[in-house]
Amino acid sequence: MKNVVTNVVTKEEAVLFGEKKSLVGVVTDPARVTGNPRAAVLLLNPGIVHRVGPGRIYVKIARALAAMGFVILRFDFSGIGDSAVRHDNLRFEKSAVRETQEAMKFLKSSKGVEHFILLGGCSGALISFETACCDEQVLGAVLINYPAAEDDDEDEDANTDLKQRRAAHYYWNFALFNLKSWRKLFTGRANYRQLIQVLRLQVKRLFASRSRITAKETPFAANLRALARRNVRLTFLCSQGDPLLDELREAGGDELQRSCALGKVTLDVIPRSDHTFSSLDDHDRLLEVILRRIKTMSLARDGTADSSELAFPAEAVPLDNSAVGL
Amino acid sequence: MLICPPIGHEYVNCHRALRQLSARLAEAGFPVLRFDYYGCGDSAGISEEGRVSRWLEDISTAIFDLRQRTGLAQTCIVGLRLGGALSTMIGSQRDDVESMVLWSPVVNGKSYLENLFSLQKEMLRFRPKPKRKHAQDHIDVLGFPLSRFLRGELEKIDLLTVTEKPAKNILLIQSDEGDGQSSLNGRLSRTEARLESQCFEAPQIWLPTADGSLLVPSQVLQSIVAWVGKTHS
Repeated sequence: MKNVVTNVVTKEEAVLFGEKKSLVGVVTDPARVTGNPRAAVLLLNPGIVHRVGPGRIYVKIARALAAMGFVILRFDFSGIGDSAVRHDNLRFEKSAVRETQEAMKFLKSSKGVEHFILLGGCSGALISFETACCDEQVLGAVLINYPAAEDDDEDEDANTDLKQRRAAHYYWNFALFNLKSWRKLFTGRANYRQLIQVLRLQVKRLFASRSRITAKETPFAANLRALARRNVRLTFLCSQGDPLLDELREAGGDELQRSCALGKVTLDVIPRSDHTFSSLDDHDRLLEVILRRIKTMSLARDGTADSSELAFPAEAVPLDNSAVGL
Repeated sequence: MLICPPIGHEYVNCHRALRQLSARLAEAGFPVLRFDYYGCGDSAGISEEGRVSRWLEDISTAIFDLRQRTGLAQTCIVGLRLGGALSTMIGSQRDDVESMVLWSPVVNGKSYLENLFSLQKEMLRFRPKPKRKHAQDHIDVLGFPLSRFLRGELEKIDLLTVTEKPAKNILLIQSDEGDGQSSLNGRLSRTEARLESQCFEAPQIWLPTADGSLLVPSQVLQSIVAWVGKTHS
């Protein structure tokens, strides 16, 4: 099939793999591979959306990467899209990591690929990160809107805090500039209780010392350090219009800043985008950053990247830029 | 059994339900083919290349392929939303479709587009507005490109002008009152088709949900499987 965007011929093939051949995926690869194959890229389901991704963005990403010489597998976890449901009692967080490893095993045997880059949005980012932590074949990951502060069913305080932070994000980014919201406020139809709670939270956060926030290292920050030690490259890609950006900064704390400074981690904020990158304009900008980051990760493994490719990019937003997401 | 899905964001939102419908039909003993139109889902082509004329050809190809694979001559098509409109159009041209399930089909292309545009406008209320303008040959509808050509083709769709029966047996499933569903019922009943109509208070699964969940209306699926079983017994 000729890739219309890049004018390069790529192949696409539907595959079944996994222990019970119950996982469904599509392999996209360059028609001609010369020399050693580059690392393969695995695209992991964003939430429960099947392997094409929202707005068919995973298909675009796969074809563009194949045109650059990568082998790509976009597939469905058990119970999502076309893959069969599992009948064991394994939690999704565990089964998805295991299935990602099965996908790597499949590509290793069928394509001879030794190294992998994982890419996923939202829960797909979470699984990419978890897999990178436990599998040494992973040399990098692109984590789109990584949910650093996932809902914790057992911790009611944490959940309330999370909900209030997300509500605050909505008020500051959208309601503040929306005439209808102001009308609601002045006609007694707004949620005043929530508004007061959010304002209280903002004041509390304003006066809370930075040291107190970052004193307790999160498991996420510890994992970041371990991955940096293993030389695994990470790119966090965040929508500017998404509350997850603030949560990521908070959960990553000093470790995230340190890893960024060392060039092991990059944080790219896509301006004027939302959680699912739901416009074509978002797609273009997202794709541009993904291609650049994956190319850099692959070159870093080969030892052929020059310093400009590995340095913190001009268009990436530094961590201390408080204007972003507020 | 051939499943004809919707397009664009509706395709993504309905994938789960159509997959489950296929599984239930297969369990009931029917071979099922699900496929993606050209420029949609996993199929070749970029989204900008989507054309109604091409998708109608794709359905014909799928019918041929299904017959080749199963050796069965009788074909039943399940079409959801735009898939329902395309099924009706192709069925009226061919006269060899045994049965057809039209699940909340798009009846009028113009009002379908109007609904898409208002959904796009609504979505922009809750997200930053994209700054860059895209090329003039297509517009952005919830993350899917709508080309000027496709728009023109969609605007011409009007199932109320259908005169030939799309299939010998038709089940019309309505889960929303708007969009000329009852007029379609009237129009189809004037053809030679044996028509059955069912109404459900089921969610409109093709619409985006607030929490991003994908809905599966079990009652509708059950009803389709029962009707197909009865029709093809």
